[in-house]
Amino acid sequence: MSWLSESWKRVRSIGSRETIERGLDDEIRFHLDQQAEKNRQRGMEAGEARRQALLRFGALERAKEETRDEVRPAVLEDAVRDTRHAARLLWRSPGFTIAALITLAVGIGATSAIYSVVRTVMLEPLPYHEPERVVTIWETNRGGTSRNVIAPSNFVEWRERVRTIAHIGMTGPVNLAFVLNGHGVGIPGRALSADSFQALGVQPMLGRAYTPEEDYGGRRDVIVLSHEFWQRRLGGRGDVIGLPLSTDDGPKIVLGVMAPAFTVLGESAEFYLPYADTLEQMRATRGRGSSYAIGRLRDGVSFAQAESDMRRIYADLIREFPQRNANRTVMLFELQDQMVGELRPAIYALVGAVALVLLVACVNVANLLLARSAAREREIGMRTALGARRGRLMRQMLAESVLLAAVGGVAGLGVASLFHQGLLALVDDRIPIPRIEQVTLDGDVVGVTLLVAVVTGVLFGLMPAIVSTRQAGDALREGGRHGGSRRLHRLLGAMVVAEVALSLVLLTGAGLMMRSLVKLRGTDLGFRVDGVLTATVQLPGARYDMPQAEAFFRQALGRLGALPGVERAAGASCLPVPNPCIGTSFWRADQAKPDAGQLTSGHVRPVTPGFFDTMGIPRLEGRDFSDGDGADAPPVAIISRELARHHFGDASPLGLPLRISVDHVGGRDDIEWTVVGVVSDIRSSLDGPLRQTIYLPRSQRPGRFMTFFLRTPQEPAALATTVTKTLQSIEPQVPVETRTLDDVVGRTIARQRAVAVLLVVFAVVALALAAVGVYGVMAFSVRERAREIGVRMALGATALSVFRLVLGRALRLVGLGVAVGLVASSLLTQTLERLLFEVEPLDPWTFGVMAAVLTLVAVVASCLPARRSMRVAPIDALRVN
Amino acid sequence: MATDRGDLLQGTLDMLVLKALLLEPMHGWGITERIEQWSESVLQLGQGTLYPALYRLERQGLIKSDWKVTENNRRARYYTLTRKGRQQFGDELAQWQRMSRAVNLVLDAKVQ
Repeated sequence: MSWLSESWKRVRSIGSRETIERGLDDEIRFHLDQQAEKNRQRGMEAGEARRQALLRFGALERAKEETRDEVRPAVLEDAVRDTRHAARLLWRSPGFTIAALITLAVGIGATSAIYSVVRTVMLEPLPYHEPERVVTIWETNRGGTSRNVIAPSNFVEWRERVRTIAHIGMTGPVNLAFVLNGHGVGIPGRALSADSFQALGVQPMLGRAYTPEEDYGGRRDVIVLSHEFWQRRLGGRGDVIGLPLSTDDGPKIVLGVMAPAFTVLGESAEFYLPYADTLEQMRATRGRGSSYAIGRLRDGVSFAQAESDMRRIYADLIREFPQRNANRTVMLFELQDQMVGELRPAIYALVGAVALVLLVACVNVANLLLARSAAREREIGMRTALGARRGRLMRQMLAESVLLAAVGGVAGLGVASLFHQGLLALVDDRIPIPRIEQVTLDGDVVGVTLLVAVVTGVLFGLMPAIVSTRQAGDALREGGRHGGSRRLHRLLGAMVVAEVALSLVLLTGAGLMMRSLVKLRGTDLGFRVDGVLTATVQLPGARYDMPQAEAFFRQALGRLGALPGVERAAGASCLPVPNPCIGTSFWRADQAKPDAGQLTSGHVRPVTPGFFDTMGIPRLEGRDFSDGDGADAPPVAIISRELARHHFGDASPLGLPLRISVDHVGGRDDIEWTVVGVVSDIRSSLDGPLRQTIYLPRSQRPGRFMTFFLRTPQEPAALATTVTKTLQSIEPQVPVETRTLDDVVGRTIARQRAVAVLLVVFAVVALALAAVGVYGVMAFSVRERAREIGVRMALGATALSVFRLVLGRALRLVGLGVAVGLVASSLLTQTLERLLFEVEPLDPWTFGVMAAVLTLVAVVASCLPARRSMRVAPIDALRVN
Repeated sequence: MATDRGDLLQGTLDMLVLKALLLEPMHGWGITERIEQWSESVLQLGQGTLYPALYRLERQGLIKSDWKVTENNRRARYYTLTRKGRQQFGDELAQWQRMSRAVNLVLDAKVQ
């Protein structure tokens, strides 16, 4: 407490400093007068009396100074004074200040924007009870290499057998068409077992969740809404609990509303539904749906224990159900891995890139400060000579850099918010980043930004402060303009090298990503991506049975094909990328069925007649589907070349039968599909292999989803409104999602694109900063060496040789920087490997081009000062000083 | 004969100043005079140390100051002992007496 009040007194005394000063003067004068008076009384002459009094008192100023020290808060006052001094100095050299501030604002702004993302996506714990105990459980594909969705029939077994996991539930994506205010809207949601609420340790904010009894009892008419659904779609109405909502899956009664930040592991969903299957129904389900499991570890159980428990159970299941589980296994993930596992390399790349930008910015400002401090050498020398202590001088210079950084940091917040908007626009809804919509620039980010600012301020300020005060003593002695600057020049040179090297690392990283992106986009998918509009429709199941749905789709296709501007129209059960409609395995029906482990897998795509021509997929053999291949006609199939080669070799497959174990709910494998045609291969992703694909007539494998493909010579996006109107003129409440095929394909590489764009932005910023830095240092060095140049020219050096001299030095520095940068890049680009497609991390082409670009920019930046050096008039240079 | 601040035991100056103010409020000059007088001119304070000491004691709340007019009609700053200062003086005095007695005992001890 006393310490506090003491401090307060000291702080307050800054304000009353004038008063104290005057009081002290008066008091001492009074004292001296009294002493002089006394001396006079003892018989001294007046002048002598005064002199003796002063003598007796001792060093007057020193006494005052020591007295002041007792009252004033030295450190604080110095800080205030230093800041004021620094502000004045900065104000007086606006060119330098603006350059430094822009540099800092960009560096700090980018850092805090990326931090805000990283924090939300990776660092912030999820709003679950003891989130470290939540795990997700997946099965793997055949071969056990990558994670895959789980079989409900396996889930039931896990639920009954697992001992290390307390609550285990399933979750998977569900789309539902709601009728709200008379309009049909397709809304993304999730199926979520009742047990999942316990597994996550969360309950609705309003109302309640459905119970396991309701879920496994088959109750289909209940729903839990997200906070967003309630607020945005229902206007936050107070009577939401118990409200019936009309959907294409029948009426749903709202049981509860989740809290605002709630997500299932970051997946965007606006509502949650029970699976509403009984355990016996699930046990009898044959395929794999689209779900994974969420579990909560029992108290005291470690992740590893749960993992081995699950593996043991899975081994039993393989033995018991080989058909279903052969060659598969089970995978457990901790929350963090589940959510950001795939994003992690991209996020690390961005964090690394932004750190490099910040470093370049720091080096740049240190550079500017250093060059400036050289110009202030004499001032500093003078002050040292007058008795200023080194620590004091350093503190003053640090005040300058910290002030710069603080102002830069505030400006950086502005940059961050711009950057942030750009980032969100870039990510859009195309990249599934968990919780991206929750990323904000709040107080926390502001705090971190300012902290970064101050730390960078000290970082880039410390070195110039140390260097320039160390030489201070020599400055006066040498008396010239460039006293003691040799070490300084070496340092400045080192800075140029560092800057060039750091920028090159960013440039190569960005170059690799761009190159990879170009290669990705250049991948031949096997169909023509341009000039096609897609329109996806889901019919409400409550009102349409399968024949009705097919009738609707046939009518719709007819009308769409007749629209002006539409050359061809066709339909398929799903988009060609990024997913197969159905992933399954098949075998020749005229041969014995292979063992479970030997089956080859591929994609099944139900399509309408005309699909291949509309998509531009070449037909190689046989015929296309026709209207004759109806539901009651003999089952026929068209296969891809890859499938034909794999199963039939060089022989023509036409007329031969295939069987498909249709790996989805209710599938049958006793149908023989006769091959009637062969088409060219397609890929289902830009970075994926050609997949064996079997096409079936849509009418022989109907569904409630349909995607229409419309080929047009016009801009396809322009058709969107007409298409939606046409479809809704047949069924007003049907939700329609239109996108150009080009956009559909683009979205599949949105993440690579976003990383590439960000890296390019960072690299360009770093390049610009480096150019400014090189320019600054070379300009400074020309100014410093004006006299030397003048002398050289007076002695007969030509302008050209001077130019060469200056540029030569620049080239040496840049060359060294490029060399260092290339080595650093070759080490660092390895980390990008997982993000690259068909580009080696050490791609010589990229390295070469980027080094050339950087060298070119740096040379141009140093040409300007070098040119100026040619115009130095010898006589002027000699006249300096 | 002139005793400068260097010879004064660390901390004793504060005690002497408090002692000088024990009787009545005084100005800086008065304090030097009083100490010089009491010490039979042995202790002549270097004023360079007096004023820092006064400001320090005031900051510690042991004394307080007011501007007043002297008998000769001049303005001077008078220092007054506070209650806390009086108590502090008591403590320091007791401490000092114990210490000086101890030192004296040692010095007076008969050697051989």
